[in-house]
Amino acid sequence: MIQLFHVHKEYPGDGPALTDVTLEVEKGEFVFLTGPSGAGKSTLLRLIFCAEPATSGQLLLFGKNVAKIRAAAIPQVRRNIGFVFQDFKLLPDRTVAENVALPLEVRGLPDRDVKRKVKMLLRSVGLEHRADKFPPSLSGGEQQRVAVVRALAPDPALLLADEPTGNLDPDRTLEVMELLHGANARGTTVVVATHDRTLLERYKRRTVALERGRVASDGAEIRRAAGAP
Amino acid sequence: MTFRPRYFLRRAADAMRRGPYVTAVGTGTIFVAVFVTGLFAGALGGAERLLAAWAGEVHLSVYLAPGADLEAARAAAARIAPGREVDAIPAVVALRRLAEGLGDDARLLDGVGPDALPDSVVVLAPGLSLAQARALAARLRQVPGAADVDFGNAWLEKLETFVARARAAAVVLLGALALATALLVSNTLRLAVFARRDEIEIMKLVGATDGFVGAPFLLEGLAQGLLGSSLAVLVLLAAHAAVAPRLRAAVKLAEGLRLADTLPWPLLGSLLAAGAAIGLLASALAILRFLKQRPSL
Repeated sequence: MIQLFHVHKEYPGDGPALTDVTLEVEKGEFVFLTGPSGAGKSTLLRLIFCAEPATSGQLLLFGKNVAKIRAAAIPQVRRNIGFVFQDFKLLPDRTVAENVALPLEVRGLPDRDVKRKVKMLLRSVGLEHRADKFPPSLSGGEQQRVAVVRALAPDPALLLADEPTGNLDPDRTLEVMELLHGANARGTTVVVATHDRTLLERYKRRTVALERGRVASDGAEIRRAAGAP
Repeated sequence: MTFRPRYFLRRAADAMRRGPYVTAVGTGTIFVAVFVTGLFAGALGGAERLLAAWAGEVHLSVYLAPGADLEAARAAAARIAPGREVDAIPAVVALRRLAEGLGDDARLLDGVGPDALPDSVVVLAPGLSLAQARALAARLRQVPGAADVDFGNAWLEKLETFVARARAAAVVLLGALALATALLVSNTLRLAVFARRDEIEIMKLVGATDGFVGAPFLLEGLAQGLLGSSLAVLVLLAAHAAVAPRLRAAVKLAEGLRLADTLPWPLLGSLLAAGAAIGLLASALAILRFLKQRPSL
């Protein structure tokens, strides 16, 4: 699904954000990216999302070399990727239903199908009664659930989440994590960047730790070294 | 790009409803540009119509020096302008006609002697252009005893020169006006685009193409252009309805001036199309510049 080979990313005037990152995420995996602030987690997600190119190295996404994807084809690639942000990135002047409908409209689904799917998705996360509300009137947990539902609405093959629980209390964190795990159980590959240790301890999933832009440890490597299947 | 005209129209209408200030400024700018253009074109059309009307009723007056032989002058004028109607107007007749023209104010002429006005010869030459009339006037100066030849040339020559220069300047001016308007509206729409940068970013995040993001903005520009130019056309029609009767009352030549002379339908259609094109161009410039500046989206 995702393959990085000696990926290096440097911003002009800054030090390297990522250094010699080699990493592979299989289809259907659930992976935590962890590390302190500035470790390179968000940068790595942005590279995978095709928001910016790597300075050197190779990144393969769905088997395609990202560096060779034409700019005009990037929207097509992104339609297979859902993205969840710490700050939700919901449109405040559109209703909850309209926010969730956005990726479906972009894909050209007929209005009737969009309405039906949005209703079904909101019902699945217990937010059907909030469909006509505007995001600022929702709690943080509700907003993040809307953001996750929006990301999952088009059934993406890959879900990227950048500190999705960073602004939530423990109970709301659990709700959001359950949504992410539910998506993974249905076959979506999930990569979650977080520095919340309690999440890592609670959910025993593969954890890739970044430090100063380098892979400091990789749960998959550790399991392989320990002889786990 | 996924082509969804109803969706794009809905988004454009939503955006105009949510940003009435930007809509008003964009529409207002296009209104001013189209109105000024229409006013200019209408005035040119009217002036050309006046020139044509004048050409239909050219008459040249040869004023004779005191003591000149009126009949000899008439015969000479008839030889110079063969086939034209040539009349000899004695001073007494000219004075009587002036008095008739003055109506109730004719008493102003009380005490004026019968020789106050000169004898004259009038040549009627309908259908002449101003240049032909000028040439004929030059030949009529050869009439024995001619002191002056008049064909209303002073203001007509000014009008003709003005129309010729205005026509040449119009192309340059209107081109510059259209460009300036497009840039002005484009900058206004850039503000609208900037105000909606979060929306654009999120749409790009969920896989929208540049075309999908830009289509509602293009429709918004098109709508502003059509709205502004439609308003301008309505105001131009109202201005014509208000001014034309007064002009007809004030200037005899303008009696036949009709809407089709100043604001013909092809001109009004062109103004509507130009307004729409300016709006479309301005919005395209605005959204393209924004997307170009944010390639990482």
